[in-house]
Amino acid sequence: MSSPALERFLAKIYVDAEARRRFLAAPFDEAVRAGLSDEQCRALQQIDRVGLEMAARSFARKRERKQRRP
Amino acid sequence: MTDRVGLGWRPELAAGILSNLDRIEVLEVIADDYFDSAARARAIRTLAAQRPVALHGVSLGLASTAKADEKRLAKMARLVEKVRPECWSEHLAFVRAGEIEIGHLAAPPRTQATIDGTAVNLDRARALVGSLPLVENIATLIDPPASHLDEPEWINQTLEASAAPLLLDLHNLYANSVNFGARPEDSLARLRLERVHQVHIAGGKWIEDGGAHRRLLDDHLHDPPQPVYDLLTELARRCPNPLTVILERDGSYPPMAPLLAQLDRARRALERGRAEKAA
Repeated sequence: MSSPALERFLAKIYVDAEARRRFLAAPFDEAVRAGLSDEQCRALQQIDRVGLEMAARSFARKRERKQRRP
Repeated sequence: MTDRVGLGWRPELAAGILSNLDRIEVLEVIADDYFDSAARARAIRTLAAQRPVALHGVSLGLASTAKADEKRLAKMARLVEKVRPECWSEHLAFVRAGEIEIGHLAAPPRTQATIDGTAVNLDRARALVGSLPLVENIATLIDPPASHLDEPEWINQTLEASAAPLLLDLHNLYANSVNFGARPEDSLARLRLERVHQVHIAGGKWIEDGGAHRRLLDDHLHDPPQPVYDLLTELARRCPNPLTVILERDGSYPPMAPLLAQLDRARRALERGRAEKAA
C-alpha cells in the first residue's frame, strides 16, 4: 500500500540528486532504510530508471524557473 | 449542446486576448498567481465580468495520502469568493511531501490508498471552497512507482470515489500513452467520458536520456499535435456533455493569429465529433 512515507521517499529521490544516486545504487536497501514496507521496497527495485532521471531533471528545471520569477 | 473554446490567460498574452475576446469564449486563470494580491484578484474579477473564467490550481497536491495543505486551500477559497469564477480545477497530483517541495506536479502511486486519500482531500476542498474542483489528469515522465493500477483505471476509481468532474488534458493523455506503451485512443475509450466537462489541449517535445530512450514532455511551449485534435474529435463523438476546451500555452508565445487559428482548429475538431455522434 502507498503511504505518506512512500510519497516522502519519492519526493526525496525526485529532488535530491545525492539521495537519488544512493537509491539507484541500492534501491531495496535505501527503501528499507527509509522504513518502507517490504512490498514498497520490492516495488521500488523495479523503478522506471529512465523516467526517474528525466522526471528529476524536469522537476529541477521547474524549481529553477520558479526561483527566477519576480 | 454548446461546446466552448478558450485560452489560458497569461500576462504575456493579455493585450492579444483582450483585443480578440470575440473569438475566445472562456478564459482559464492560474489561481496560484493571484493568491497573495488583492489588487490582482480584483483585476481577474473584472476579467470575469467580460468572459467566463475558470480558476486553475497548480499547487494543492490533492492526489495524496497526506492531508492537503489547509493554508493553500484557504487561499483558493478566498480567491474563489473574490473572483466568483464559473468553476475551479486542480490536478490529480502530489506536489510536496512533508517539507520537500517537488516543484511541479508528480503522479502519485496508483493505488487504493491514493484513491482514498484523494477522495478525502476533495471532500475537504469542497468543504472549504464551497464547491468541488474539476480534477485533471497529469502528464508524467516516470511510470509512477509502486502502482497497482494503470492510469485509466486509477482515474476511473478516483472519479468513483468522489463526485468531482473530470478535466481531461488530452496532451497529457497522449504523452502518457505514447511514453508507456498504450494506444492513446484506447486510453481515452477506457475513461469514464460521461464525467468529462472540460478539456485541455497543449503541446510538447520529445526529450532523450542520452541513450536509446526518448519520451514526450508536456511543456506547453509547442502547438498541439494532430493526434490531440483527433482525440478531441473522438471525445466529442463519445462524450454526452457540453465541453469547454482550453488551449494552454506557457511560453515561446507565438503571435495571436496562430493561437486563434488553433482555437478554430479545436472548434472544427469538436464539430466533427458532434456531427459523427449525431449521424
